[in-house]
Amino acid sequence: MNRPCLTQEIADEFAIGSLPVMVEAELAEHLRECESCLEMTRAAQRLAAALALTAPLARSPSGLRRRTFVAAGVARTRLAGRLLRYGSAAAGVAAALLAVGAFTGMVAVRNQVQDLRQENSNLGTQVEDLLSQKIEILALTRRLSDEERTSDELQQAARGDRDLLLAMLSPEADVAEVFSVEPGASSIGRLVWDRDQKKVWFVANRLRSLPAGETYQVWASAGGKYHSLGTFNAEPSGFARYETIVPQGLENYESAVVTIERAGGAPERTGSSVFVADLSRLRR
Amino acid sequence: MPWQGNPDPSGVRSILRTGEIARPLGDPRAARREWTDESLMLAIAARDDYAFAVLYDRYADLVYSAALRVLADAQLAEDVTQDVFVRLWRRPESFISARGRFLTWFMSVTRNRAIDEIRALGRRHRREAPQPDDSESDTCLRIAAPGDDPLIEAELHELSVRVRAAVSELPRDQRRALELAYFGGLTQQEISELSHEPLGTIKTRIRLGMQKLRRSLQDRI
Repeated sequence: MNRPCLTQEIADEFAIGSLPVMVEAELAEHLRECESCLEMTRAAQRLAAALALTAPLARSPSGLRRRTFVAAGVARTRLAGRLLRYGSAAAGVAAALLAVGAFTGMVAVRNQVQDLRQENSNLGTQVEDLLSQKIEILALTRRLSDEERTSDELQQAARGDRDLLLAMLSPEADVAEVFSVEPGASSIGRLVWDRDQKKVWFVANRLRSLPAGETYQVWASAGGKYHSLGTFNAEPSGFARYETIVPQGLENYESAVVTIERAGGAPERTGSSVFVADLSRLRR
Repeated sequence: MPWQGNPDPSGVRSILRTGEIARPLGDPRAARREWTDESLMLAIAARDDYAFAVLYDRYADLVYSAALRVLADAQLAEDVTQDVFVRLWRRPESFISARGRFLTWFMSVTRNRAIDEIRALGRRHRREAPQPDDSESDTCLRIAAPGDDPLIEAELHELSVRVRAAVSELPRDQRRALELAYFGGLTQQEISELSHEPLGTIKTRIRLGMQKLRRSLQDRI
């Protein structure tokens, strides 16, 4: 990626349109590649869009409706079209009336007209039913697509569970207990470092939910330097599970900590530790 | 990152609601008036011009008002309103329900189109955007609530009231900075020059304003 991830502040500035065009273009390029920043920015854009509802209400000009429909190609000036259609039909029916009336009388003609009207009404209802069915099929198709996406996510989660289980059983993995830095706090989770899969898992419970604009960030210390392993958020229940690929060049670690940083994560560790992986309680 | 949270269920919810569309009876336009925005968009994708008419009647005033607020020119606001509805009819697939509510998306489209109009005309609005009178509490009584379906009308009215209340609770300076950026299309630097305030001050006002709005509206947007 060409620039670091967005902070909440930058996402807000982008959403409200207060950044210079060049910066906007640069951020847009980043957003094409970074799903988490894109999601944060979309939420900010939804918030910014609400401001439009504060504009004093003005009634749109009455002629605008027709102009819009004509420009969209929706209205073949419906009234004119209808008059034209009905006019042609009326002319035909009138001619028929004259001819038929001469032979069979007005009563029979009236019955036929009523039959035609009924038939026309039935056809209209059928068209409406078909349209409704088409929309329902569209809805069902979309629902199916959502279900497939959910299924994919569940499969992905199951694969993650399997990988975590394999890691916990593997002799190539370190499993360290994770403690809160508060005095007397008991173990709240595990940090699993699998050299074989080159992956790290952080699984913990009893985490507090962070306010908007903040995130948990995992760091591994190696050679006296902290390397970011990424950011994660706790679920409302306090549970958090985070997995990531070990960054290239980071073969092992001396300690691991979790800090609270600004949303989007920090390139360098700035917050104080809230959780530590206790290597003295390392299990292999 | 795989564990950033659960997938946003808003799209799924919209589709479930769509599945509950009532069969049209009698006047097809009357039946569609009860449809949700998302259902109407599905129907528009199926080239249903009645659905387009209902959506137009529901939001034309809001769109026109927002465009007028940005452009301060009735004719340009009409052009923008026409253009966004024509684009909606021609490219309904550009709305993706899973990403959020139709209304906020459409308002965002309107605002961006209006700002584009200002820039295309090469006459950036360097004027101060008109400030809503702090004492205009009666404005809340005539908030946009178009449409024929009482339920949708009430929902839209309530949302507008909430947004207005949230914005009116912002300190004047923060509200002004947000409005100059959003409705005036001004960058922070331009707002700084216009108001003779340091750039950092403007950035702070926008940041704090957005934070407060987020807290006030997070359950509705």
